[in-house]
Amino acid sequence: MAETATTISSSDLEFATFYVGGALCGINILNIQEINKHFDITQVPQSSGYVKGILNLRGRIVTIIDLGKKLGLEPINKNQNNRNIIVNSEDEHIGLLVDSISDVAIAKKEDIEPAPSNIGGVKGKYFQGVLKTETQLIGILDIDEVLKE
Amino acid sequence: MFEDDETLQMYIEESLDHLGDIESDLLTIEEGGADIDVDLVNNVFRAAHSIKGGAGFMGLTTIKDLAHHLENVLGLVRTKEMIPDSHKISVLLKGFDELENLLNNIQESNDVDVSDHVEALEGLISPSASEEQLEEASEIISERVDIIIKDGRVFANTPVSAIEKMKSEGKNLFLVEYDVPQDSKTEDKIPADILENLKKTGAIIESRVAAQSEGRIQFQLLYASIIEDDMAETLFNIDKKYIHSISDDMIVTTSVADVNAEPAAMPCLEKQDVSPVTAPKQAAVAAEPVKVKPVKTKPKAKKATSKKAAVSTTKPQTSLRVNVGLLDTLMNLAGELVLSRNQLLQGINSSNTKAAELSSQRIDMITSELQEAIMRTRMQPIGNILNKFTRVVRDLSQQLGKTIDLVIEGKDVELDKTILESINDPLTHLVRNSVDHGIEIPEIREQTGKEPTGKIVLKAYHDAGQVNIVIIDDGKGLDPDKMAVAAVEKGLLTEQQVDEMTDKQKTELIMLPGFSTAKEVTDVSGRGVGMDVVTTNIETLGGIIDLDSKPGEGTTIQIKLPLTLAIIPSQITSVGSERYAVPQVNLNELLRIPASKIKEKIEKVGDADVVRLRGELLPLLDLSKMLGIERTYNDPEKEEVCSDRRENIADRRSRQHHINEDGLIVETSGEEKKPQEREEKDRRYHAQSAMNIAVVSAGVFKYGLVVDQLYDSEEIVVKPVGRHLAKCKAYAGATIMGDGKVALILDISNLAQMAELSAVAEAGQTVKEAEEAKEAAKDRAALLTFKNGETEHFAAPLNIVERIERIKTSSIEQLGDRKVVQYRGGALPLYELSQVADFTELPEREQQEVIVFKIKDRELGLMVTPPVDALEVTLDVDEDTLKQSAISGSMIINEHTTLLVDIFEMVKILNPDWFKEEAKVAQKMAKSGKKTLLFAEDSAFFRNQVKTFMEDDGFTVLEAEDGRIAWELLKERVDNIDLVVTDLEMPNMDGFELTQKIKADPKYSHLDVIALTSLASEAHIEKGKKVGIDEYEIKLDRERLMKVIRKYLNLSK
Repeated sequence: MAETATTISSSDLEFATFYVGGALCGINILNIQEINKHFDITQVPQSSGYVKGILNLRGRIVTIIDLGKKLGLEPINKNQNNRNIIVNSEDEHIGLLVDSISDVAIAKKEDIEPAPSNIGGVKGKYFQGVLKTETQLIGILDIDEVLKE
Repeated sequence: MFEDDETLQMYIEESLDHLGDIESDLLTIEEGGADIDVDLVNNVFRAAHSIKGGAGFMGLTTIKDLAHHLENVLGLVRTKEMIPDSHKISVLLKGFDELENLLNNIQESNDVDVSDHVEALEGLISPSASEEQLEEASEIISERVDIIIKDGRVFANTPVSAIEKMKSEGKNLFLVEYDVPQDSKTEDKIPADILENLKKTGAIIESRVAAQSEGRIQFQLLYASIIEDDMAETLFNIDKKYIHSISDDMIVTTSVADVNAEPAAMPCLEKQDVSPVTAPKQAAVAAEPVKVKPVKTKPKAKKATSKKAAVSTTKPQTSLRVNVGLLDTLMNLAGELVLSRNQLLQGINSSNTKAAELSSQRIDMITSELQEAIMRTRMQPIGNILNKFTRVVRDLSQQLGKTIDLVIEGKDVELDKTILESINDPLTHLVRNSVDHGIEIPEIREQTGKEPTGKIVLKAYHDAGQVNIVIIDDGKGLDPDKMAVAAVEKGLLTEQQVDEMTDKQKTELIMLPGFSTAKEVTDVSGRGVGMDVVTTNIETLGGIIDLDSKPGEGTTIQIKLPLTLAIIPSQITSVGSERYAVPQVNLNELLRIPASKIKEKIEKVGDADVVRLRGELLPLLDLSKMLGIERTYNDPEKEEVCSDRRENIADRRSRQHHINEDGLIVETSGEEKKPQEREEKDRRYHAQSAMNIAVVSAGVFKYGLVVDQLYDSEEIVVKPVGRHLAKCKAYAGATIMGDGKVALILDISNLAQMAELSAVAEAGQTVKEAEEAKEAAKDRAALLTFKNGETEHFAAPLNIVERIERIKTSSIEQLGDRKVVQYRGGALPLYELSQVADFTELPEREQQEVIVFKIKDRELGLMVTPPVDALEVTLDVDEDTLKQSAISGSMIINEHTTLLVDIFEMVKILNPDWFKEEAKVAQKMAKSGKKTLLFAEDSAFFRNQVKTFMEDDGFTVLEAEDGRIAWELLKERVDNIDLVVTDLEMPNMDGFELTQKIKADPKYSHLDVIALTSLASEAHIEKGKKVGIDEYEIKLDRERLMKVIRKYLNLSK
């Protein structure tokens, strides 16, 4: 991406971007604990449909959430590119299962535009805003809103 | 104030720490009475003092106030001016309690009204002083004093009220002298800054400026602060010689003349003029608000409070004190772990198996040690909560007029913090119980020959990896019989159940829900919380409670608790591909039912599957169905899933029935086929899959958890699950298994609750429901159960029993080999079972229970041993095993093999001549051709019984197992049949339908139909009349039945 070439100033925001179905989403990189591909997931019967299961992340029990289902899209298709994005939310580690991950996008705060009411079938309330790059539109996820039970 | 959260937190913790020991200290002081232990008093005094000090800094005015008054009283005790008695100590204790409250709600503390406590404390100092003080105060207001400093100078004309006020708040007074020009030059001290600074830590009472002789201007401050002498120098940042600490003796009342003198003219020793130079304006301005400061602090504090409250809505951090040694050990271990990890990595990288092996061994050891050390950080001495009981017992016993010694042992025993916190309430309840209900008042104790002072022992000790807490009192104990009576009165148990209990079991009834023996609710222990809550609480902690009591001697309650909750032994099970852990605490036993036995063992009760385990019906909960993955959480649609199963169960039940009756049912072959069909349909009950059941208990309630596989028992570490799973009540948490995968820990009691709709709700009444469910297929009868001697259990049909009498043994008359008793104007012949069959003779007793039967219009009595009880049972009679004369069979009732007495046969043996009439009829029939009865009855037992009656009386009997067979028989042999006798409840075609058919067809309508029923209800009779049933009879009432048969066949005279 073009931005990567420019020097990063402290006021710049970095977003890890990833695909959920066809939608390109981003999360502020500061929210992210790690990205992994552990899929030895224990299913939790009777949990909400979007809960994929729980995972042992170095001794911590991490709930894995199917981001597709959670955002009201198709469930994540199982394939090699799947990743868990482990985010930190309310003192808890939660894993977001995504189809695949993409680059890190860098943007200034003012470049982020308010989100429309609907982005690619996802409710606008899940987004903090959208970021337009030369080629793509990245929906910046509001992690706290997404992770509300 | 409140600015620094951390400081505040530290202050609170430290203060609470101080308070922790105060209670017991005060109680010891109370015990000592006039013999004051100064050290101890000092301890308490210092605690109050430091709390006050801190509160001053933090601006916690209410706390400071209260602490100050407490300190004042303690000060008097310390100097032995006051003798602590129990009233005074009570006031002090209450004061400290309030202090603790304030500290716990620090943000609101300033708004709390503590005037009650303050007044009470002031009252202690001099009971009448408060009034005087008020009067004095009004006088004093205008009064002024001089302060004479040690070097002889005078700081004159100071308002007394301000000084008094400061002193009453426990502040120290200082007179501070600043050399303004000099200081501001050299040290950059500007009076305004100085004032600002000082105001933060205290109050300025007055400030004056005096020109010194050497042309220097001196700035004098009369300053009040909680700061002690030794700190003052640092605070004021000037040389010690300019700081004068003012003690009481330095304050002298101003002479009258001076009062009138202008306050502005305040000569210091050297009579400086008070000509206001630059500073005074500032000083005056600054000083003005200072005077009103005490008033102003409140609103300020309030503001801070509300602000703070808004900010700190997040949960308060709890903290733990950890021994530094332990912390060092942890650090060491962590270091070791890092070293070993490095070695391991090296070993692996260089493919050095040996090195890797060695380091993995090391890591193994270190981990275990680390685990243990970390566990120890959570351990707290149980003394923390036991100590509190000294106070509880003291207050309570005072309130109740009892004298009680409390002995606490094993304060050092350590327990996990969470457990410790959770046993506080149950323990309090138990101790309160002991004080309230256990220990008697001194007079009664003396009457019963006990020491007037009661004794309660609280003991904690380690045993077998568990912590034991024992509460022993030497009070009146629990009366098992009273317990039993109360339990029956409250309808918790039947009299019969209670009769069979041992004393210990009776005593333990107190733990039943809904049981409370206190006659009246006291505010001490009767607060609607019974022992059952205590029991449940302890059980949720994985503990066990045991109660032992000897009436008149006292009660011992033993509680066993695990050391920690973080690691729990668990049974690992699996359903599908996932493993689930069942906490060992909940696990009773494991049960494996081989595939071949499943159909016999599993029955259906209402909606639930049950398994019969040692005579008890155990509801089953199928985990795979319960947690069915396609079903969404909280879906109440479980009914649907269960409805498939109901079919299976229904089959199973008939199968069960079939087996019990030993193949006597006609369509045996048809029945045999069914289960096979089912097996093909139903994978779960396939012959290859044995059924694995973990028998678990949630509180008092037991059930069987059906799982696919049972694995080992393992010690697992409980880990919390995330908030998205908080709603999944089925799990108590998760754990990480040896292979790194996560397994869920099942919450046994929640599972039971969740299944309530479909499976296990009937737990309490399983037996009853089981019987109801079976009623349609099985015969129920009301039986009277009794014993012959202590061990032999009998039952007889209730409907032929007239009465039950209790007679005095002395009134029994022996006439030859017969016994009779005068009874309602006649003689009642008495028999006992040993006369007719091979049973033990009744033991000699003062009273004798007699069951009165009426046969052939004559009464006779059968002497039995109590308890005599009536109950309704499903007849499931074994006719062969224990068959003998006068006994029609045996069955299991309440876990006893019970023999069914055939009263009729018994009478026949005893009085053969009573049956001449029947013999005559039989003879008559034999001459004129036998009468034939068609008898339809599905129960083999009744069929045999009734058939025997009939044949005994000379009838020919055609048997049918159900209505349809009877109908077929009737069609074939209508000409031979004289009378139809039919049961009502039968498979295929019931008695109503059969009667309807008979009455509707002119070929058969001439036949009379007598219906036999075990329990005739009005509705039944109504329905029967409609279809044309001619007569109703009770199955086991042989005499009436035969009479009616004879009547309908015109055989009776």
